[in-house]
Amino acid sequence: MNHRPVKLIAADSYWVGSFEAMASPCELFMEVDEEAQARQLLNIAAQEAWRIESKFSRYLNDNPVHQINNSGGHPVEVDEEVAQLLDFAQLCWQLSEGLFDITSGVLRRIWRFDGGSQLPSQQQVEQIMPFVGWQKLTWARPFLTLVEGMEIDFGGIGKEYAVDRTLQLLQQHTDRALLINYGGDICTGGMRLSKQPWSVGIENPSHPDTPKGVLEISRGALATSGDTRRYLMHNGKRYGHLLNPKTGWPIDDASRSATVAAATCTEAGLLASLALLQGSEAETFLQNQDVQYWLTP
Amino acid sequence: MKPKKIRHALTAATCGLLGVNSSDSLGEEGDWSFDSAVLYYSEVDRVTAVEPVISATRDFGEERALNLKFVFDTLSGASANGATPSDQPQTFTRPSGKGAYTAAAEETPLDDTFRDNRFALSSQWEQPINRDYKTAFGINFSTEYDYSSLSANANLSRDFNKRNTTLNTGLSLAYDTVNPEGNIPIGLSSMIIDNGQANYRSEFNATREDSEENKDILDLIFGLTQVIDRKTIMQVSYSFSDVSGYLTDPFKIVSVVGDDGRPLEYRYEQRPDARQKQSLYWQVKRQFETDILDLSYRYFWDDWGITSHTIDLRYRWILDGRHYLEPHIRYYDQSEADFYRRFLIQGESLPDHVSADYRLGNMQALTVGMRYGMALRNEQELSLRLEYYLQSNDNTESVIPGILNDVELYPDVEAIIVQLGFKF
Repeated sequence: MNHRPVKLIAADSYWVGSFEAMASPCELFMEVDEEAQARQLLNIAAQEAWRIESKFSRYLNDNPVHQINNSGGHPVEVDEEVAQLLDFAQLCWQLSEGLFDITSGVLRRIWRFDGGSQLPSQQQVEQIMPFVGWQKLTWARPFLTLVEGMEIDFGGIGKEYAVDRTLQLLQQHTDRALLINYGGDICTGGMRLSKQPWSVGIENPSHPDTPKGVLEISRGALATSGDTRRYLMHNGKRYGHLLNPKTGWPIDDASRSATVAAATCTEAGLLASLALLQGSEAETFLQNQDVQYWLTP
Repeated sequence: MKPKKIRHALTAATCGLLGVNSSDSLGEEGDWSFDSAVLYYSEVDRVTAVEPVISATRDFGEERALNLKFVFDTLSGASANGATPSDQPQTFTRPSGKGAYTAAAEETPLDDTFRDNRFALSSQWEQPINRDYKTAFGINFSTEYDYSSLSANANLSRDFNKRNTTLNTGLSLAYDTVNPEGNIPIGLSSMIIDNGQANYRSEFNATREDSEENKDILDLIFGLTQVIDRKTIMQVSYSFSDVSGYLTDPFKIVSVVGDDGRPLEYRYEQRPDARQKQSLYWQVKRQFETDILDLSYRYFWDDWGITSHTIDLRYRWILDGRHYLEPHIRYYDQSEADFYRRFLIQGESLPDHVSADYRLGNMQALTVGMRYGMALRNEQELSLRLEYYLQSNDNTESVIPGILNDVELYPDVEAIIVQLGFKF
């Protein structure tokens, strides 16, 4: 698991490292002088990304998430890092008044956003709803108890968390400028010697097949939520992949994607996700947060 | 869900998740944020102060920030001039020498000419040097009718141990000037009362010398802040202050009484021209589920013989996400200055230094109060603070002659403090 390839190439005034993790291309831009140091930083970053992936992926069967999701209604004791993420997930659930819910992943058993046209029946939705809702689980640090049949999924937080954690780790080794880009979730650290912003090629989320756009960023973080390729069409209506955990149905009038700039990638990512969960109120929500954002209707 | 502002809550939570100091990323670059308050302070039968404060902070990113603070005070009312009460009315010359004020029999003599406006402006710039070192520089200026103060300060802090430990050192230099109307009284000289004598003015002028006096203040502080765990932070600091120059209060006097306790004359007070103050401070803040406990203790001592203890306890009780109540209790206990005397008795040799200012006496003070805060839309906050202050002084005179046994030598000071604050 932890021995996938990493690639390092030299650019004008920095090094670019790349590897794959969390089902995304991961890139690391490092304004350091020595190749050896760039390679060291790249290895640290890749190990951390793979560590987080293997610890929090719901597709693996030897990690805390698997243990929790197969606990059969019994309490599971979790370590400090999982506990912190659970605390954070709980707060996001509170702040979003129940719209951001890490227990909503089981809805994907009946909703398949593969571009098809199959809608689940209301009966199917009602059968699965008893397993959705943070208020149904018991979180009493360090013990988490789910109702049997419930599952949790850190997919909405994990990648952004990995980006921020990785930056922190790397900054223990260097004061030089860094940019981390894990599949469009981006954060920067340090000031470039040239004082110039970083230029990053990004995918246009509404036209994934067009050439990449170029984005300039000098400090802080950017994250994008939304996936224009995941939807289903039924009777001419487009159903986006964002599900409302309170109803079990897709959010109406959801924007296709939101990109937010903030101090950390985790914060940016959450603001972007929460914005999309507002449906038609996404723009008002983002305006009220006093952040820079880009919304694709 | 209404699209309300949740960003700061989310920022704080993210900082908690990533284990970073929230000041790292809370900054909103480019935006001014304002904190305003009106403070109303009223001592029973004495001084009343109204003090609007407005503070503006602008974050320039990368932990650079500018803070400007503007204060305008209006003080009015009367303050104890230091003389003892008597069984007969007493007449005192106003500090300006123009006219007189009287205290009725049995009443604490109060100088009712106490009225002033103060205007103060301070600015502070924060600038990190690198990831571990931060600096801050400030300039402060305040002026009122007969007093002005100019000061500059510099502060250096260094983070260790992944920012869990911060060492801090600060230096402040100040230069104050006092130039009262009627000039500075000569210390220990006898107050001249206008009884219609022809040469009153020249007698009064003989008790005055300079029109202006100054003092220099040097303050040093060394502090350590330590994050104990995710919910607890502790701070200890040591401060040293060296003040030299004119430290006397030109408006305060001391009664010289006879064997019957009645005043024979009033002498202008005289304090030493230097003072070294030191203090040790300890503070802990702990967050419980949501509530926050803030407990501090200060031990103070100086070379005037004053030592004091201050204990301060606040508990922020979060009622729900939008309202909190914060009870506050503070207890202060002070021993008197070596030269503090409630009065002098005729025939005893005049000391080099003497003051009857109750603030230099043996005293205890208790403050109890409550603050109520309410979060409004978009992270605005409205707060109301109500406090009651009670100060009592103890007698330390070994002999209390005659009528002074029948008057209130040490009246309590009571005050009500109301503060209305608005953060936006």
